[in-house]
Amino acid sequence: MAKILVVDDSSTVRNEVVSYLKGKGYSVSEAVDGKDGLDKIKSDGELKLIISDVNMPNMDGLTMAEKVRSDLKNPGVNIIMLTTENSPAMKERGKAAGIKGWIVKPFNGDAIVGAVGKLVS
Amino acid sequence: MNAPCNTLISKVLVLDETGSGGEMLKAFCDETGLAPIRPQKHAVAGVMAILNSNVDLGGILLYEDFGGCGRGIALAREIHASRPELPIFLRRRAVASMAGFDADTAAMFRCAYTMDDLSVLRGSIEASVFSRVYPTDLVRNIGSMTRESLRTLFRHCDVEVETPYLVKDKIIYGEVFTMIAIESAWCRGYMMLQAAEEQALSLLDSAAADGARRSFRELNNVLGEATNLIWGGFKNKYVSPVGAPPAGQTQVPIVINHQRRYISFGSEDPQLCFKYVLKDRERPDAPGVPIYQRFVFNLNWAPESFAENPTVESFVESGELELF
Repeated sequence: MAKILVVDDSSTVRNEVVSYLKGKGYSVSEAVDGKDGLDKIKSDGELKLIISDVNMPNMDGLTMAEKVRSDLKNPGVNIIMLTTENSPAMKERGKAAGIKGWIVKPFNGDAIVGAVGKLVS
Repeated sequence: MNAPCNTLISKVLVLDETGSGGEMLKAFCDETGLAPIRPQKHAVAGVMAILNSNVDLGGILLYEDFGGCGRGIALAREIHASRPELPIFLRRRAVASMAGFDADTAAMFRCAYTMDDLSVLRGSIEASVFSRVYPTDLVRNIGSMTRESLRTLFRHCDVEVETPYLVKDKIIYGEVFTMIAIESAWCRGYMMLQAAEEQALSLLDSAAADGARRSFRELNNVLGEATNLIWGGFKNKYVSPVGAPPAGQTQVPIVINHQRRYISFGSEDPQLCFKYVLKDRERPDAPGVPIYQRFVFNLNWAPESFAENPTVESFVESGELELF
């Protein structure tokens, strides 16, 4: 099964998302902010999907996505954002960074699993 | 109480022995949106304890002879020393004035009134407790978006929201509280969630599949995420990306005294407060767990510019995936 990285500063959210994905058999790792996420993306070439929050300390999720595209030169991972943000401006910035999908919190497990199914198949 | 969130009230401690005037004062409270709390009769000694157990008051209605001839004034000194932020409205025996008081004594009271003319009291309460206009739509939507956020995180609980109210208190409820800045073109301030640790932990313990005791860190995380969800909902609905406040605006120090469970934002304006009660469906006999939410718009408040963001067609419902 595909390897997925969940990036969120809230352990409550990480635990819930990880629980959903592990229940479906995915291999899941976690990062606590954008900087931690970027480090883990750099060090793990097998990652297929990143699910990331936007508002996080140290480095936000959009900056992380932009760095994945600019610094890592599109390493072949898809990114979807899981966030409270819902503004068109934010989404446009995400699209420009190559983000593939956007889920607004509060989320439901089916949406997460559905998104993962579409993007890693 | 699961009242609609569109009428603001304020809780007042009534220290008065009005006799036949009691009905008049009760009617006055009903008319003006005051929710009276009364101590046991003549329980002067217990007033401070009652005061300390009610951390969300809008003010105090005090009779100068409460507890005995002239004793109300001595009680006012104790109250004022302990909770100077609470406005005290003084009912006098005969004359609606500060006659006979020195300047320091008079300064403790927001007004002096008699039962013969409650218009003085009405004006003073409107000026000090109901001095801020909170748009009805804003109040209603805060209540509903917060209730949904709490339901998301406490899935095994029913969440009731009580009638929102205004407080002048600066006392922190419980041991755990979160705070996040809220900034828009028409408001700047903070939102807080406040909870008692043991009570709130009991909800997490109840939901735990492994039966293990949850730690305070998990509670911190859950309340933090609740704050994030509410803030996100508020931002999406009310904070326009156009005309957002520029960086580098004014700030004021926030003062917290842990010993006294006191927090000051440097403003005397009444705070908008909501009380949510979480009831565990698996434990119907367990007492409800309160979570208090306070909004303090101490840096800017311009309700005349209040507006909801226009709905954009590309917006999707929360929880749905939008693919690019």
